[in-house]
Amino acid sequence: MSKVLCSVATRGRYHTTLPLVLQAIINQTKPVDKLVIFDDNDEPKDVRSDLAYGYFFQMLDIKGIPWEWVFAEKKGQHYIHQMANYMGYEWVWRVDDDAIPEPNVLANLYKHTNEFIGAVGGSILTPPIMNTQSSTGQIDNINSEPNIQWGLIDRKRKVDHLHCSFLYRAGVHDYNLDLSRVAHREETLFTYGLRQKGYDVLVVPDAVTWHFKNPNGGIRSETNQQLYEHDEQIFMNHMQFKDHTIVVLNCGLGDHIVFSKVLPKIKNPLVFTCYTDIVPGRSIAEAQNLFGNIDQWNIYKKMDLWGWKQSLEKAFEKMYL
Amino acid sequence: MIVISPFSRALSNGKMNPKNFPYWKELIAMIDEPIVQIGIDGEEQLVDDFRKNLSIDELKKLLKECRIWIGCDSFFQHLAWSEGKPGIVIWSVSDPLIFGHPENINLLKDRSYLAANQFLWWESTEFDADRFVTAEQVFQAIP
Repeated sequence: MSKVLCSVATRGRYHTTLPLVLQAIINQTKPVDKLVIFDDNDEPKDVRSDLAYGYFFQMLDIKGIPWEWVFAEKKGQHYIHQMANYMGYEWVWRVDDDAIPEPNVLANLYKHTNEFIGAVGGSILTPPIMNTQSSTGQIDNINSEPNIQWGLIDRKRKVDHLHCSFLYRAGVHDYNLDLSRVAHREETLFTYGLRQKGYDVLVVPDAVTWHFKNPNGGIRSETNQQLYEHDEQIFMNHMQFKDHTIVVLNCGLGDHIVFSKVLPKIKNPLVFTCYTDIVPGRSIAEAQNLFGNIDQWNIYKKMDLWGWKQSLEKAFEKMYL
Repeated sequence: MIVISPFSRALSNGKMNPKNFPYWKELIAMIDEPIVQIGIDGEEQLVDDFRKNLSIDELKKLLKECRIWIGCDSFFQHLAWSEGKPGIVIWSVSDPLIFGHPENINLLKDRSYLAANQFLWWESTEFDADRFVTAEQVFQAIP
């Protein structure tokens, strides 16, 4: 059976919703294989002496669930999710620190996983519950329909993107680290990226998470509107080119030559390149303007991240095919 | 005619690139046929016929004309592979299983000399002549 890491990113909710979330995770009918809590608070605390947390940690130990409390870098939850993404588990169940899953959520998300699945989400409900029966979950409708997960889901459906908390296949797509600290649209970009890589993204019934929307903490701690606008612009740029495979070759001449053998296999590529005589395309400066941080396309960082042992050509294939 | 591409790119810290074979002069002294060196301005001239700053098309033409080529882990081995012209690549710290091509004769002294992290800038790896095969071993590998 595949291993599932449960990842919780938290900020500003030590004594509000985070304890409820941890209790709900501990009480899942399908236990997680590890729980990692990324503490992104401006002033992190050692909570082991806190009454509730102390008992939570003992309960985890008694149930045989390894756990880890990581003091995060305060760069935003996308950086945290990216760490969890590469912690060596096949699946990551990301749970927001104000989203309380019912006891059967992980079991009912997990039972829908197979080799074709990239991510599975359930209902994310905040009373009063919305009716989202007519929502499609398609990316083209993201600004014109309520999110399908905001209502009760009556049947398994394929969608383009997910929201808030969900189970996803780890290590195949990266979080966009150019987003600001608020990481607006991070889960949309991430799950749609899995979809673009050919995996199915599902919403399924009988997996209800109660979203105790909290005006304090999390990304709502940030009030700088410019951060949201920055992230929205990156999202819009990605949507502008969503029918393309974006290729950014910010690397050496030899790398371009090797990549040129992979290029014909890429579906509808849009290439940004350093050496137009080897691989024609648009400039790297333009890629930086459109997408900000282009490290997500850095083949050397990727090979390092993957612990790569195969050829450079195969690394390019893994990245782009 | 043999083409040699002796040097990988210069490092930004001014140190010797750990991928640069240190025994070219000894090797060249053993070879009894015309040698064309390719490279760029600032690189040491090792033979009389040193052609600098050639375009990609000019390099491709030279590849067609040569009997074989010898180089280190640089862009040239990739260009030759792309053109379907096998040659000899002298390795040291970079891994031929990742950055090489099996169509070539890849001369690696020992995998224990490979850099622990293959994906950092080479500025962080010290040059060490002991990591290379000898000039004699390269000469023996020439078909």
